Amino acid sequence: MMEMIDTLMETVMSNQVSIPLIEPMLDVLPEIPMLQYMVAFMLWKPLFAILICPGLTVGGLTLLFFPWIERKLCGRAQWRVGPHEIVWWLGGVIQLLADTLRFLFQEVIVHKDAHRPYFLQFPFLSFTIFLLPLLFIPAGTIVAIQTPYAIQIILALVCLFPLFILGLGWASNSRFAYIGTVREAFMYFAYEIPFIIAAIAMIILYGTSDPLLMASRQSIPGIILNPVAALVFFIGAAMATGRMPFEIADSDQELCAGPHVEYSGIAFGLIYVLCYEKAYILSALMTILFLGGGSGPVIAGLGDLSGVLWFVVKTYLVLTTLFMLRAVYPRYRLDQGLKLGWSPMLCLALIGLAISLVVVAVRVI
Amino acid sequence: MEETEKDRNIRILHSGVFTPLRRWATKWSLWPCHFLTSCCGVELAHTGACGYDMERLGTLNMGISRQANFIMVEGTITRKMARALRIVWEQMPDPKFVNVIGACGQRGGIFWNSYNITRPSDIVPVDFFIPGCPITPEGLLRGVRAVQEKIEGRDNTTIRFKHVELPPEEGEQNRAPTTPKIFAPTPLVRVDVPRDVDWAFGNDLVKNLKAQLNGLYTSITITDKNRIAIKTTPENLVETSRKLSDTMGVDHVKSVNVIDVPHERKFMVEYMVSGYTEELMPVILTIFTEIGREAEPEISSLTSLWESANYSERELHDFFGVKFKGNEGMKGKFLLAPDTPDTPLRRDYKLEEEQYTIEEGVPLTSAITPPHYTPPSSSPSYSESELEDLKMPAYEDVLKEAEKNDEFVAFIGPHHSGSGHLRWVMRMKGDIIKEVIPDPGYVHRSMEKIAENRLYIQNVPLTERPNISDPINMNLGYVRAIENALGIEVPERAKYIRTIMAELSRIGAFFYDMGIFPLFMGHSTGFMYSFAIREMVLELMVRMTGSRCTPSFIIPGGIRRDISDDVLDRTRKFTSAIHKRLKKYENIFVYNPVLISRMKEVGVLTREEAIRCGIVGPFLRASGVEYDVRKAEPYEVYDKLDWEATTGDAGDCLGRIFGRLEEMKQSVEIVRQAVDAVQEMPRGGVISEEILGDYKEASGDIRGYLYNVYGDLVLPKGEWTSVTEAARGTVLYSIISDGESNVPYRVRIITPCWMNLRGIIEASKGERVADFWTVYASFGYFPPEADR
Ligand code: SF4
Repeated sequence: MMEMIDTLMETVMSNQVSIPLIEPMLDVLPEIPMLQYMVAFMLWKPLFAILICPGLTVGGLTLLFFPWIERKLCGRAQWRVGPHEIVWWLGGVIQLLADTLRFLFQEVIVHKDAHRPYFLQFPFLSFTIFLLPLLFIPAGTIVAIQTPYAIQIILALVCLFPLFILGLGWASNSRFAYIGTVREAFMYFAYEIPFIIAAIAMIILYGTSDPLLMASRQSIPGIILNPVAALVFFIGAAMATGRMPFEIADSDQELCAGPHVEYSGIAFGLIYVLCYEKAYILSALMTILFLGGGSGPVIAGLGDLSGVLWFVVKTYLVLTTLFMLRAVYPRYRLDQGLKLGWSPMLCLALIGLAISLVVVAVRVI
Repeated sequence: MEETEKDRNIRILHSGVFTPLRRWATKWSLWPCHFLTSCCGVELAHTGACGYDMERLGTLNMGISRQANFIMVEGTITRKMARALRIVWEQMPDPKFVNVIGACGQRGGIFWNSYNITRPSDIVPVDFFIPGCPITPEGLLRGVRAVQEKIEGRDNTTIRFKHVELPPEEGEQNRAPTTPKIFAPTPLVRVDVPRDVDWAFGNDLVKNLKAQLNGLYTSITITDKNRIAIKTTPENLVETSRKLSDTMGVDHVKSVNVIDVPHERKFMVEYMVSGYTEELMPVILTIFTEIGREAEPEISSLTSLWESANYSERELHDFFGVKFKGNEGMKGKFLLAPDTPDTPLRRDYKLEEEQYTIEEGVPLTSAITPPHYTPPSSSPSYSESELEDLKMPAYEDVLKEAEKNDEFVAFIGPHHSGSGHLRWVMRMKGDIIKEVIPDPGYVHRSMEKIAENRLYIQNVPLTERPNISDPINMNLGYVRAIENALGIEVPERAKYIRTIMAELSRIGAFFYDMGIFPLFMGHSTGFMYSFAIREMVLELMVRMTGSRCTPSFIIPGGIRRDISDDVLDRTRKFTSAIHKRLKKYENIFVYNPVLISRMKEVGVLTREEAIRCGIVGPFLRASGVEYDVRKAEPYEVYDKLDWEATTGDAGDCLGRIFGRLEEMKQSVEIVRQAVDAVQEMPRGGVISEEILGDYKEASGDIRGYLYNVYGDLVLPKGEWTSVTEAARGTVLYSIISDGESNVPYRVRIITPCWMNLRGIIEASKGERVADFWTVYASFGYFPPEADR
């Protein structure tokens, strides 16, 4: 028994997040029983990744505050202030908390025509599935599951997303949801292929698909090495998350938000944040592939956390850009979106692939 | 005591362990589903836009009832809309709240005695009323605050009614100044009263007509400059019209009208037609005939000849029960709801009269019967039979046919985040629209019937209510018809000021439409920028008239009061200040590549199609017809200023938008020139001496003298038609007076949006589904204006 704990502790201790700044505190800890173990566990990299960053804490905070940031920024761009009165001295920062709680306490309506079990399952199911890719995304050097096939796995999981949206729409059994779902399915095929090719181009470029190695190989960030692939990836992300010029499937004014027109209460609350969740993951992926992950000048004292910090900053940068598209662009039509996906983007993605090959060839020679 | 529906929502918030949290969250997260029922919605849009920014309070407009928890009922709820309101309310998850804004939503407001309105409080439980016509955005925000307070548990903002005993004598003393209405008992109604006018072309035209229509007409009369009335028999009506269409180039119908003359046991049916050839442009030919007032009066339809008559004929079928043979839409009701009184515009359907003295036992306001659904008594669910009455017509035959052809049918509206307040039945095959069937009338407030029951001057506020985003032009048309009838010449200064205001109003309407358009494209920034500019126009309006949207400032003979120099200065500055903001707006929205790709070659109407559908205004000009009333039949001072009518020939959405943009820039030019001219003129004298009569002292400022001067206006016998170029096209007022009563015998109002409806349907055929909203928004369709 003791042996087992010892081996466990050994594994845990060998893979700790090192933060010089709090080291003195940690030195005091052994005197307090149990707490020492708890802290050790908390700082165990895989657990840290799941619980803190990029996992639940940062992810949760993103979902809670990013919509506020988006609404505030859009407000600024639109000559107004956005949410404000709720705690006016903080600029209404907890607006989303109020919205979430309101959804939580509101009635959930399941209409007569809906397929009841699926109608209720899908929002919750998709919420959890959408979190899975976070297991493979490293924040700096901290990652929950390290595998050499991480990027492929993330991509595979990301490709699962639209299936759940289709499920939502199907279970709703409403005319608008139906049209929205069909549009979603169409768009899915339009962006998925260029999107994956762009990611593959980067895997070829770095010669690995392990995110940690990728970060270390980006002495020059990927976005400079292969801007074309970066562009394709970014547009693909905008399409995948249904951001503005491509908000085609759930266009509010045409289809009353398409697949989730029938959802209310907390079920809608979950769907509402799904898109932010998706955007968070894709931005994180973009950070890894093109912006060097958590690399950046090391901030003394923070140790491993410095990587985490850089990672979060970069991810937010991508996220903000993605969301600010809303302030600039109106919406494309379905056929225009499809055309864009199938011709210019596919071509660009192939060009990106070619660039990667050339770079690799030059490097070899 | 039985728990009311309203209490239930509050109780939900006050039960359970999480009560404080629940209340707090609900308070800060009131999401209204925008139930834009009528004109007050314009001010709601302003509240949401950057000037007032409702989102500050955490109030985010949400188009979908399932996700909203708050309804703002904007103004009038008609019988047709009442069902929709109830349905939407039922769709929303508990707890939910209702604010009613606008006078109409309380006791009917200006439409209190209309046959088609209901009171929202009969339909859904209301938490807070906000008065005003329209409400101001400040008032609206206060309403949100009041609901927030109510959620918190403080209910001190609700009005509590107090009963007071008013002794009858005192009531008599406090009587509002008014003139008793005089209705002639057996009025002589004629639409072809001859008038001597100096109009050489007219005489030739009459000669020509007589030659062409030999044997088909009964009489041809010149009734006014540019107006000719042709009397014919019901049998010859079609033949006459065909002759006109074939030989004279008459290609569109401006208005269809039915006049009920019960004491002579007849209906008069008239078609006002004209042609877009250079000579005929300003001329209106009125072809009319008389049919017996039997149980089921019939007349042959002219739809096959002029498609533009179609919807008007269907509307008149609703109003008078006159059947137009050959028009396919004669089966059911078109504008009216199933439970609206039948044939309400016949003279024997009487509206309630207002009471100025309080009598024992007579209620101050009339009771309005709500639609016949029974709200669920105690159980929260409906039985099938109760539901039956909430249902809207389902167009069974359309559904059947669509199924046969493997098409998909979607019912869009009247509560839909992108439909405005009318319903579309859209048949689509794949992503292509096969057909769109309109179901208008959700804001039909019986403008025409009410106008028959009010003094001429009382109709001035009424006529601007259809379109409070362009009030001055709506007013101007009505007032010009009266001035023309009375032969009044308006003082020069008043004319200029009217022109300035009309153009400002046009600019305002443009920015309204161009604010709604981005919303349909999902582009909220465009909406905000546009409404920011519109806010500037409204600011000027407030300074000139004291009201943001409903000034009622233009009256027969001039304007209510003079405008001060500093306001003129400000207006002058506006004409240059607008450009900077406009530039920003253009950059972000109009020239946005995504938008251009959405609009280009979408919803094309060729010149022929446009004329056939009878569309009007800038949209007609975008299809290449150079018809602008301001040029063809200049009124006010348009002929003295230097400006150009804009025409295009693409006829697509892009052309319509760019055409209007160009036109708006011309309007700014006109305002600039007119302001310069007014600043040169001496102040004062803005009402014509002729109309003031003995009340000369009122000339500076009409306040206080209004009823003395205008109470007893009586128009000469005959039909007085005016056409005016409003922001969205030609608005036509045709007033029929019997020469004895001080109320009009009949007022016919044809608004541009009503005429454009057919164009929208035609232009969206064969386009992709998402394009429907582009087409719809490019026409600037404003349902209250269309439904009147
Ligand atoms: S008439 Fe129009 S503006 Fe006035 S209260 Fe009614 S809806 Fe509002």
